[in-house]
Amino acid sequence: MSTINKQSANQSQKLMVFVLTMALYGLATLFTELIPKFQIGIVEFSVEYFLFIPLTLAMLFDPISVALGAATGELVFSEIMLGQFGGLGELEKFITVTIGVYAAGRLVSDPRNRKMVGLAAFGGTAIQLLLGTIVDVLKVQFAVEDFEAVAGLPESVFFTEGFAFLNDLLFSGILFCLLPTLFLVPRLYGKIEPLLGMQPRTERTASASVGWKTVLGCAAAFACAVGAEFMAENGLSLIDWEAAWAESASAMAVGMTAAAVVAVAAVIIMRKHSENNLAEKRI
Amino acid sequence: MKITDKLSENILDKLSVDFLRNQVLKNAYGNNDTVIAGMDPRILLVWYLFFGLVPWFVNDSNFLIGCFLLVTITTLLAQVAGLVLFLFVLGVFSQTGYLLIVTLLFGGDTSAIAPLLVLTLKVATVSLASVTVFSGMDPDKLANGLMWYGCPERLSFSISYAYRILPILMEEFQNILLSYRLRGNPPEHEHLWGKIKYLIYQINVIIHAFYPLMLNTAKRSRTTVEVLEIKGYRYAAVNQEAKKMKLSSLHVENNDLLFLSFSFLWTAVSVLISTWI
Repeated sequence: MSTINKQSANQSQKLMVFVLTMALYGLATLFTELIPKFQIGIVEFSVEYFLFIPLTLAMLFDPISVALGAATGELVFSEIMLGQFGGLGELEKFITVTIGVYAAGRLVSDPRNRKMVGLAAFGGTAIQLLLGTIVDVLKVQFAVEDFEAVAGLPESVFFTEGFAFLNDLLFSGILFCLLPTLFLVPRLYGKIEPLLGMQPRTERTASASVGWKTVLGCAAAFACAVGAEFMAENGLSLIDWEAAWAESASAMAVGMTAAAVVAVAAVIIMRKHSENNLAEKRI
Repeated sequence: MKITDKLSENILDKLSVDFLRNQVLKNAYGNNDTVIAGMDPRILLVWYLFFGLVPWFVNDSNFLIGCFLLVTITTLLAQVAGLVLFLFVLGVFSQTGYLLIVTLLFGGDTSAIAPLLVLTLKVATVSLASVTVFSGMDPDKLANGLMWYGCPERLSFSISYAYRILPILMEEFQNILLSYRLRGNPPEHEHLWGKIKYLIYQINVIIHAFYPLMLNTAKRSRTTVEVLEIKGYRYAAVNQEAKKMKLSSLHVENNDLLFLSFSFLWTAVSVLISTWI
């Protein structure tokens, strides 16, 4: 019986939600990536977030599909498509966006309750930004050599990151996340769900409220994001250790160069050979 | 006055959707005849794995300069769209330049420049490598390459789908924006206050435009998924035989090996130079 009462989204409907969020949020992040940012002094004015799109959808549909769709959309449209893929940093963004959107979606049990929607929208944005700020600070600490030795740099990083967090939360968070979500959720409620063949979410059909399992899962995912950064630190010491172990670095480098020369020569010979073969075949 | 002038002018100039669409399409489909585009995606991904990761862990500036020069050459070979390069330059140098100014404000002296230069070189090398690989390659090839390495089917589907749906979505978004503008009554934008009001009006219209766009896209994604189901997409995604058939078009050729070994040579030489200096 309980399966009937649940907001039953089957696999293909989950895929629909995934595709929908990915396309919409991807389009939006493409715009934010392309519009230049302005800095007046140190105050940054940017159309930083269209996060209201996944937030809205997460409150109406299955939160985990929306969260994954939004993160994938951002990754594919604005990073891979524009060639701005940044390696390790993208993993962190992927996870923080997923956590923020998912948390916001789980918080809302009845999309008609405006207070709840507003609270969840603001909370989800705050979670996403806070996690991003923590990881950013860690990243700069690992990437810059002699971090503590440079006068003024540690304070400046904490200051700029903290300031960017507050600036983003108060400027983008309210203007681009809170207000549009409050505007869109009641309007879309009951209209967009039938288009995907689903029942609108009500208090009764909503998934159970945020439990310790969700919090634990989010914490584990965030640990993964931080773990990527710690991996960077470990990798750093690993390479240092190897360099110390090799008796003569330049001898090793000479060996490497020689091997590379041989490899290039071998490939060129192979290429000539296959070209000859092709020519013979044509004859 | 001047700042606000620049503010509204800049945003409105770049907001021409046609311009953005052209650049993105050019980036995706405009350079299929370059050396980079003709290579095997698996080789390029291995290459990217090296130049996307190793620079983060190395602090030797000579080695980093060597890597930077190599990825600059490959970026030139890939003939990347102008807008992407512009964004790259803006992103890298505004970020670290900004950090430098703040460092100086907090009483750091010129000794802060060296670590920041290293950081800039790292960021620049890694981003140029990704520009080469991800924007020089055909999206379908890239998706196939990722799939060969066992990436989730979802991801490679997303890449192929994104490139196909994007032009349609952009056109639709532009049509909705235009219809809002036709019916709307924009405020006067003569003075400073009017300009701010105009900017707010523009942002408001963009946010409102997402309402019909969401409904339309919901319909479209349902159609897409239903068509995929008819073709047995979810079954094929987990079927090994279907995957093998899809990936049979990938071939490693001598050009790929030459590229790989030349990159290796270049890196080895830069390591050699950095140990001598």
